[in-house]
This record gives sequence, structure tokens and C-alpha cells, in this order.
Amino acid sequence: MRKNLQLIVFVLILGILTSGLLVGVDLLTRDRIVQNEMAQLKAAILDANDISYTQANVHDVFDDTIEVIEIKNFDYQEASASTDDQMGPRDYVFYRNQVNGNVSFEFIGGGLWGDISGVITLNADLDTIVTLVVLQQQETPGLGGIVAEEGYLSTFVGIKMVPDIEINKDGSANKPNEIDAITGATGTSTAFQKILRLNYRWYMAAWESQND
Amino acid sequence: MKLIRLRYTKWFNILKDGLHRNNPIVVAVLGICSALAVTNRVDNAIAMGLGVTFVVMASSAVVSLIRNYIPSKMRMVTYMVIISAFVIAVQLFLEAFFYDISQALGAYVGLIITNCIVMGRAEAFAAKNPVRYTLVDGFASGMGYTLILLIVAVIRETLATGTILGYQVLPASWPNWVVMSMAPGGFFVLGLLIWGIREWSKLYEEN
Repeated sequence: MRKNLQLIVFVLILGILTSGLLVGVDLLTRDRIVQNEMAQLKAAILDANDISYTQANVHDVFDDTIEVIEIKNFDYQEASASTDDQMGPRDYVFYRNQVNGNVSFEFIGGGLWGDISGVITLNADLDTIVTLVVLQQQETPGLGGIVAEEGYLSTFVGIKMVPDIEINKDGSANKPNEIDAITGATGTSTAFQKILRLNYRWYMAAWESQND
Repeated sequence: MKLIRLRYTKWFNILKDGLHRNNPIVVAVLGICSALAVTNRVDNAIAMGLGVTFVVMASSAVVSLIRNYIPSKMRMVTYMVIISAFVIAVQLFLEAFFYDISQALGAYVGLIITNCIVMGRAEAFAAKNPVRYTLVDGFASGMGYTLILLIVAVIRETLATGTILGYQVLPASWPNWVVMSMAPGGFFVLGLLIWGIREWSKLYEEN
């Protein structure tokens, strides 16, 4: 009985001390991490629009050249009466290049081992990919991890998002909306196709609701 | 004379053990996964090496501090909780202050939790020794790991891109050996290095 009590007290103290350490470090670093992530997003959008900047002026250049369009609390399911895409009310943010009208937005969805997120930039007609950047992924290094590599992502440039982007596993992509899958990473390729399709549907529905 | 005296101190022997006689990578062959993954660039190797050194020192010091209170059947779980807390702290620190490096290291910072060097030093040394020696042991093991990472990274980055820490060290005409920045390059360099050092020093794990 006494031993069990000692065990419980030990676990409690250990839990409190380690949690305290993590809470402390989180408090010290949280703001800075948010700033870094925001700078990374802005840099990705500026890169996608071929606008030059430095680490020091990334926020200023972004504010001067990119228009941020926010659509609050848009309910995709209600608007599209869709039953296959589970997406309730949420905010949608678009980044429009004030010079050429290209539009960027963030995408996120489940990959094979974790979420894959990034930024997609479309032309002013919103039907063709201008650039695609993956910012976070946890896929298998050397296989699915290729999804974040510039070489693979560059093959998406000029690909049509309509009717639906197709990632072909047999290497026979030749239509304007088709792209080859990553060799040996069928799971990641299938997941990436689903992420791009769903996010595109959600964002386009939100965009059209704003223009109605 | 002073140097001879130093050779017989416990501090010196612990330090020599971690850096040379029981080098975690070359002799004990621990922490190989991350050693292969992050050594394609020198800055990644430095960050990973320092991160592991901090985690080994901090977790070993805490384990040593509470070693008399850890219930025997909770030993491993306790080590894991302590190590995890410090690894997450390192991860947050890198994300806050060295964001690019944290992105380049990716999942490997989190995987320090499973690095056998950290758990190994907690169980083999920290659980039986006072804090002051534990700190030296953690530093020595971490630096032993960092040293090998650095050597491998310098070779790989130089051959792969002709640079060290981004500075051009080979002529611009150097044909970049791309394979060196990929996993097979890591295997070749680390394998040859371990073989070379073992042949030279005659140090093997069974000794």
C-alpha cells in the first residue's frame, strides 16, 4: 500500500515538474514561433508571385504587394449541399497579387503519416496552377517526402485544377489536368491528390460566395 | 607533470571515454539513424549535435539528481518522460530561434527521444553516479556524437556542393557529387569513417 502511494506521488511530482518545464518553454517561445510561421507563409506567397524580398523586409513587401481577402465563417456543406466533403463553417483567406491578379491560398489535409500543408497559387482565372509549395509534411523521407521537393512540385506548374486534378500512378499523365505520381509512394500521391481537390473545392466555393 | 596528473582524474577518463574509447557512433554504433539523415549539411549537423548534447546532459543530470527516488519498476518510463520533456524544449527553442534549421532537421529533432545514446547514458551512467560526473559524461557523449557528425557533414557537404557552411571551398568548376547529399552518400562516408577509425584505434565494442 505504502509502495503504491509512493509510486503515485512520484508520478505526480514528475508529471508536474516536466509539464511545468514545457509550459515555461512554450510561454517563452510561442510568440516567436507564430511570427516565424507567419513570415514563412508570407515568404512562400511572395516566392510564388516572383516578388523579391529579404528576411528583414518580408512583412513590408507583403503588405505593399499582396491583398488579403478574408471570408469569415463560410459553410461549404450548406452552400454546396455536398454530402461527400465533410467541411463545416470556417474562415477562408485568399492572398491576391495586386499586379497580375494571381490568387494564393493555404491548403492542408491528411497525408500518409501526418498532415501535409502548403500554399497553392492559381492564375487570375483560378483554374491553373502557377506555383505549388509544401511547407509542412511528415511523409517517408526519400519516398513520400519527395512531395515537398521543388523538383516534383515544379511539375505541377501549368496544370489545370478543373475538372479535377488527377495524379496518375501509371506514369501516363498527358491531359492538362494530369500529373505523374511520386514513384514508389502511391499512398502519399493519393493523399496529395485528395488534399488538392478538396481544398480547391472548398476555397472556390468560398470565393464564388463572395462574388455572388 | 600537470598533464600526467590530469590523465588519472575521473573527469579526464569520462571525457576520453565519450569522445574516443566509447564514442557513441564509432565504437558503440548508437544514434546512426540521425547521423545519416542530418549530415548532408554542416549547419544541420552542428544543430543536431548541440541539441543531442544538451538533451543528454540535462536528462542525465535530472536522472542522477533523483536516482535514489526513482521506483525500480518505473525506471525506463521515468527516463522517457524526462528525455521527452527536454527534447520538446529543444524543438520549441529551435522553432523559435533557428526556424530554418528546425525545418531542415524536420522530424529528426523529435526523434532524439528515441536516440539510444540518451537513454543509454541515463541507464548506464546517470542512474549510478553523482550529478557532477553525469554532466561530464553527458557532455563527452554528446560531443563524441557531434564530432563524428561534423566530420561526416564536412565531407558530404564539400563533395555534394563544394561548400562548407555555405562558403565555397572548392573551385566553381567542381562537378557536384549529388549522391553525397542523399542517404547512400551518408552510408558510404559514415561506413568508411567507422572502419578507418576502428582500424586506426583498434577500439571495438566488445573491448
